[in-house]
Amino acid sequence: MAINTVPPLIAAQLNYLLSNSPLPINVEQMWSGSKHHGLLDRFTLVIPFCLDYIRWDVIYNALYPLAAPDIIFGPEDESFRPYHVGGGDGDLKSPRKSLSDWNCKDPTWLLSLILELRELYMTYQRKRVGEVDDERLKFELSTIVPREGIEMYMRSGIEKTEEVKFAVPLLGVDINKMVTGCPWRHQQKIFLEVIFPVGRKYRHAPSTPRLKLVASPELKALFSTEDFRLPPWLDDMCMAEYLPILEGLLQSQIVDAVSSIDVRRKFIVALAPLFGRPVEADPVFCRKVAFLTSSGVFTFLVHFSLPLQFPKQQPVLMLQSSQHFNPSGAPIKSPVITEFPWSSTWESSEMAERFFDFLVEECLNFKKYCNESLLQQR
Amino acid sequence: MERTEAQNSTPQGRYTLLPSRYSSEDIIFCIDVDTESLVEMKVTGPNGRPITRLDSIKQAILLFINAKLSINPDHRFAFATLAKSASWLRKEFSSEVESAMDALRLLSVDSSSGHADLTQLFKLATHEAKKSRAQNRILRVFVIYCRSSIPPQHQWPVNQKIFTLDVVYLHDKPGPDNCPQKVYDALVDALEHVTEYEGYIFESGQGLSRVLFRHMCILLSHPQQRCLQDLVDLPKSLTKKSPTADSAPGEENPAVSSQ
Repeated sequence: MAINTVPPLIAAQLNYLLSNSPLPINVEQMWSGSKHHGLLDRFTLVIPFCLDYIRWDVIYNALYPLAAPDIIFGPEDESFRPYHVGGGDGDLKSPRKSLSDWNCKDPTWLLSLILELRELYMTYQRKRVGEVDDERLKFELSTIVPREGIEMYMRSGIEKTEEVKFAVPLLGVDINKMVTGCPWRHQQKIFLEVIFPVGRKYRHAPSTPRLKLVASPELKALFSTEDFRLPPWLDDMCMAEYLPILEGLLQSQIVDAVSSIDVRRKFIVALAPLFGRPVEADPVFCRKVAFLTSSGVFTFLVHFSLPLQFPKQQPVLMLQSSQHFNPSGAPIKSPVITEFPWSSTWESSEMAERFFDFLVEECLNFKKYCNESLLQQR
Repeated sequence: MERTEAQNSTPQGRYTLLPSRYSSEDIIFCIDVDTESLVEMKVTGPNGRPITRLDSIKQAILLFINAKLSINPDHRFAFATLAKSASWLRKEFSSEVESAMDALRLLSVDSSSGHADLTQLFKLATHEAKKSRAQNRILRVFVIYCRSSIPPQHQWPVNQKIFTLDVVYLHDKPGPDNCPQKVYDALVDALEHVTEYEGYIFESGQGLSRVLFRHMCILLSHPQQRCLQDLVDLPKSLTKKSPTADSAPGEENPAVSSQ
């Protein structure tokens, strides 16, 4: 085997993990345990946890490919000892089975091991959070225990304070199912990130935790967490009270976001009789559409971009020539066009008519702009 | 021959936009590198420099790629050439314009090829199409052909249609020593034989780059959203409508012809 290759048994387990993990786990770096053989038998896994990432080093030994790997956890987790089967450790089960029955030839073992360790890590963090001497935190914990899927952990915050962070999955609804023709390959989820500063000395400080809404990345085609205003956390509130209020609001906004797809769809369809059949339109979220139009022999594309808040928020236009090119051969584009007659109260057919009239004039400006750009290139 | 119909028209041909399959495209450009690609276009470039068909084709491809990525940055492109048969110029699909520019720089004409056989092209397209489908993408082959006397041939089984085929044909004016009509008919046959979605074919003997660029823009049409070629009415003209011909705002006109 050449230097800088991964030994086959290790590669098989790592590839299986990367292709089959239910969570998006990545490899951050790979290196060799020995400069003599140069084979890549060590790597760092970046594992999602509590809306953040934990990094674990997986240490194989290329000279002993049949042996199970060692796992090295992060520096803050010195007390996480999942292999320690002690009498007093109550619910911490050891992944002994995974390790003692280690079968190097089974490509699924590394993934099973990592997932099992992650579960144990979650339990370990839960225990740490439970041990914090903070009345308020203990109360919060007791009220949210019945909720499924919450992850939490203790960390050092700013200025050496300690913080406890919760990642709370919101909305039992399957958002994917709400979108007709949904192209998402993964289940889209929304979480509330809640961070409490803890410690006795903060008992008299303001008790509003830091809150943030976090969504899986593909959701932004439908809904923006940045545009969502979190309801206020009132004094003396706890998570058990706040979460249902948040979820009610979020639910209704998601429902609105889904129905606004059809509002955008209607607008695109209203443009077609005037602008021709689109060369391409997004049929699922209806955020973009492109038309091919002409004015005399000048042929150009019209690109419409529809924001999530359409029609409250106006669309954005851009024109692209088919006949004028910049020095690297790219067709000349107009700057983004945002100044045009617009009212969100117009019917979609009237909006379309107004855009048509606007563009009949505007394309002449664009043609001039393209010709001027060409002159500047000479 | 059943062809996969796009779902974007009512029976009257009116445009609709149903929430249907919308896959990003993998597009293979297959460019004719026979010497006929060096025939000069009608209009010269700046400084009176002659422009060959190949020059225009390169510019047309850059136009297409830039426009396609403005619409959806997830589309990808690869490049092949056609001499006697097809071979890869750049087989890795990329959505980077720079990468396309690099590939096009490698494009050059060899010698007169004699015959043209598309079988190998269809073979490599089929292989790529399977990979594209596994990623929920669709494959399109875009042939640009320049020979006025050599109808392309192919041997392809009847029911293998897993990619879309589009053709642009640049040729000389018909005369006693050539047969562009025959070539065109052979290209149409090949298209109808292999294409999954509606394929489009455009031809021009005028030698005008502007016309080529217009055809390229019509070919931007996403295969899953196309109407039949006979019904293509693009580009649409943006001219002021006379007040009497207008319907009142808000009124739908069901007699509008299909777009």
